[in-house]
Parts: sequence; structure tokens; C-alpha cells
Amino acid sequence: MKRRYTLKFTPMLVDKPLVGKLVKSFDLEINILNADVASGKGGMLVVEFEGTASHLRDAVAWLGQIGVVVSPMSADILFVQERCVDCGACTAVCQSGALSLDRNAKLVYDPTRCVVCGLCVHACPLRLFSIA
Amino acid sequence: MPKTIREINEKIRKGSVVVMSAEEFTRLARKESVEKLAKEVDVVTTATFGPMCSSGAMINFGHWKPGIRMEEIEINGVDCYEGLAAVDSYIGATAESRFDCTYGGANVIQDLIDGKDVHLHARGKGTDCYPTKEIDTWVNKDTVNEFYLFNPRNAYQNYAAATNGSDAIMYTYMGCLLPHKNNVTYSTSGELSPLLNDPYLRTIGIGTRIFLGGTIGYVVWNGTQFNTMQERNSKGIPMGGAATLAVVGNAKEMSSDYLRAAYFYKYGVSLFVGLGIPIPVLDEEMARHLAISNREIETVVCDYAQNGHPSIARTNYEQLRSGRIQLDGKTVKTAPMASLSKAREIAEVLSGWIKTGKFLLTEAVASFPEQSCVRGLEPRQKQEVDR
Repeated sequence: MKRRYTLKFTPMLVDKPLVGKLVKSFDLEINILNADVASGKGGMLVVEFEGTASHLRDAVAWLGQIGVVVSPMSADILFVQERCVDCGACTAVCQSGALSLDRNAKLVYDPTRCVVCGLCVHACPLRLFSIA
Repeated sequence: MPKTIREINEKIRKGSVVVMSAEEFTRLARKESVEKLAKEVDVVTTATFGPMCSSGAMINFGHWKPGIRMEEIEINGVDCYEGLAAVDSYIGATAESRFDCTYGGANVIQDLIDGKDVHLHARGKGTDCYPTKEIDTWVNKDTVNEFYLFNPRNAYQNYAAATNGSDAIMYTYMGCLLPHKNNVTYSTSGELSPLLNDPYLRTIGIGTRIFLGGTIGYVVWNGTQFNTMQERNSKGIPMGGAATLAVVGNAKEMSSDYLRAAYFYKYGVSLFVGLGIPIPVLDEEMARHLAISNREIETVVCDYAQNGHPSIARTNYEQLRSGRIQLDGKTVKTAPMASLSKAREIAEVLSGWIKTGKFLLTEAVASFPEQSCVRGLEPRQKQEVDR
């Protein structure tokens, strides 16, 4: 199964080989969708893990133990869809394809494709997106 | 046989009028001849719903007792124009609140339309006839006398698409433009757009009745920066900004379904305006104009990173709508700034009004200027002025 997570970690953890450990110990395939990491500042990784349900559970538990804040990703971008006017301005910056206009020119948000880059937050003229 | 507006209105009164949206008309024109369509269709509805900065509202607050000559006016922290008679004011859509740059005149207008109370603070120096010097109160659309939209420039006939050739993201009124020309934004409803369906403004002029913000409004003048000199393509479509409209309508009857405050990051506040215009199919010439398709409506792509935003490419709305265009030899994502789904909704509502006899077409009282160009603003010295 595939699951997307946002991993937030403190400066202490930036130097640890997290990805290598996840691959070796939990047999996961890891796709890094977005990364914002700087020495001394801590960081944020948006990742997609692919593996068995038990491996995923164990990996998330291990990350929690070592101090990484793990959150399932779909919860991270909040979208107030009922106020959307379907202008499409957000689709200009959404490179992952999570935001698109359908055949009827209505805005469609597919959270499973979202990589939480955050560009839609500033692109929406009605300010309907926020990062939780 | 050409039709007259009087004849079309007679059909509207009888309930026998044939109305359809400009998109439907264009679809039909692929199968039927324009001669046949000119005979069979009476009215084509056009619409747009996009951010239009040159918008605002006139408000008359009513007189305070004892009177105040309002010389500084603020609503919810947004400055309103004070240089009119004692309690008349104009609130511009783009005026920003002193406290929150994401809230502005457009938000005040939307709040009033939604029936909310807004905080009014006004000051005057105090005169013999208007002795009060300062007031603080709350008003809403029912407590004020007049509250009407007056937008000096709306409904641009075509608009250049935007891109950004610099190394850094640009936040503009055309949205977020990614560096290295990695996206292109555009802002018209294409073949549904009002002034693209009557490119020489044969049926639209001063006095034309329109849909504005959910109610009936009127064209009252040509819009500012009205330009008849823009280069046209073989279909008569101007290749960029050309004609514009100044429009008026009773904001008390409007709905935020069709008028919505907007905030463009690092740019400022604007107002999404929903505007629809019915175009009478008077004759074959009008039918030919109305049959225009997105492929035939061309525009230019301008680089907002360069001084003066020069045009760097030519494209059409079929390509822009597809979501991808070719620019400098690479495939680039495109995105609209104006809502096509809202524009379609407006065209439908307007069609409904016409079919049910609620809305009659108008003959323009006067035409727009035939020759009008857009001037820039030059630096001039006092000596040059005196010479």
C-alpha cells in the first residue's frame, strides 16, 4: 500500500540518515515529493511510502519514537471548497496536478496528488487554502 | 431579413424568443449556416466573471443630526472618498484597510451586499451648517440611502496572457507567475466573453441594459483606457486590451454569488465582477461575429518580468484552455484567472430572464467613440508646460 506523510524534524535530527534506515529496516519504497531541509534549522519532508501495512505502521511508530512529527498528508492542506468560484488561479502553480479544472470548468481537488508545496495558499484570490 | 431590437422585444413579451449562450451558438454554427442561425436565433447571451480592479460603489449614508460634512471617511478601516457633498462617498474596490492588507474596499462592498453591518467613522472640521465634527456608527445596505456599483472599467475586450521570464516567482494581478516562463495565466471567458462577440460594438453602447452582479445594470459610458486602435486579427478580434465598459447597477439587489472580493498576494485587493450582456442577432453579420470560436480568438503572451510587459508570443484561447501551450520551444502550463463556470452560470441566468420576459433588450442611446487611443503618462517639466 501507498501512504503520504509530512515529516517534520528538529535540527538534532537533520543529520540522521532517516531515509536509509526506513529502506533497510522497514523495506519501504520512498518517494520524496517535497523537501525543505537546512542544517541547524530542522526541516520538513513530504514523502510517499510504499510497503506492507505492518511495515508502514512500524516505520511510522519508529519515526515517532526518534522525535519526527509524522502527519498523514491529506490533512495538511485545508480547502474551503464551498466558497470556491472556480477561477482556476490555483491551477497555475499546482505542478502535482492535485488542483485542476474538469471538463465543466469546475475546480477539482485531489488530495492524494497533493505534495503540500503550499503555492496554492498564496495563489488563491479568495484565500481558501491553508496549511494546517 | 434583418431583425430590429423592437421586434426581438416583442418576441420576448410574447414568450417566443429564441435565446442561447454564445458557447451554444458557436457549437451550433459548426453544423448550421450563419444565414439559418441569423433567422432562427434572436438573442445570444455572453458573460464573464473575473477580477476587475477598476470597480467601486457610491454610497449616500444619510444625514446625521446635527449634520456632519464628512471630510475623512473610513468604513471598517478602509478609506473612502470624501470630496463630494456632505454624506456622499465612493469606495474603491482596491482601497486597503489600515489594519489588514488583505481586506479592502471590495470586502466592504461584499459585506454590505451580504447584509452585514459595517463600522463607519467620519470626521469634518465643523461648519455653521454642519456642526458635528466626528461620528462613529454602524451602517448596512438598508440604513444607507443609495448604494450602487459604479465601475469605471470592466469587461475588457480581450486581455493579454501573462508569463514571467525572470528567475524569481512574481505575484501579480494575473496570479502567481512561476520563474523561467513556467506558467501562463489568462483572463477572459473566450468565446463566451461579451465584447469578443460584438467586436465592433454594433449593439453595445451607452444605455445598454446588462446583467451586473446578480441584478440588472447598465452601461453608462465607455470604460477608461478605451482603445479602438488595437491591432485586429482576420476575424476582427483585437489582439489584447481594447474596448472597455463603465457600468452601473444597484448593489442593494446584488448577490455575492456574482460579486466577490479577492486578494492577490503581494498585489492587493480586487473585486470579481460577474457581468453578462445579451447580444441581439440582428442579421448575418452579427451571427458571424457570434459564431466566433476559441481557436479564432487570439491574444498575445506578455512577459511581466520585462519593463513595459512586452508581448513575446501569440496564442489563442483553444490552446490556452487546453491547459498547455508551447512557449519558447517547451510545453508550459496555462491557467485562467476568470471563472468560466461562473460565466456560464451568468449566461444561463440572463437567458432565463430573457425567456421569462423579465429582461428586455435596449437600443444604445449613444455609441462609443470611434477613435480612441490609450496614452501613457510622460514626465514633464514646468518649463515645457509654460512654453
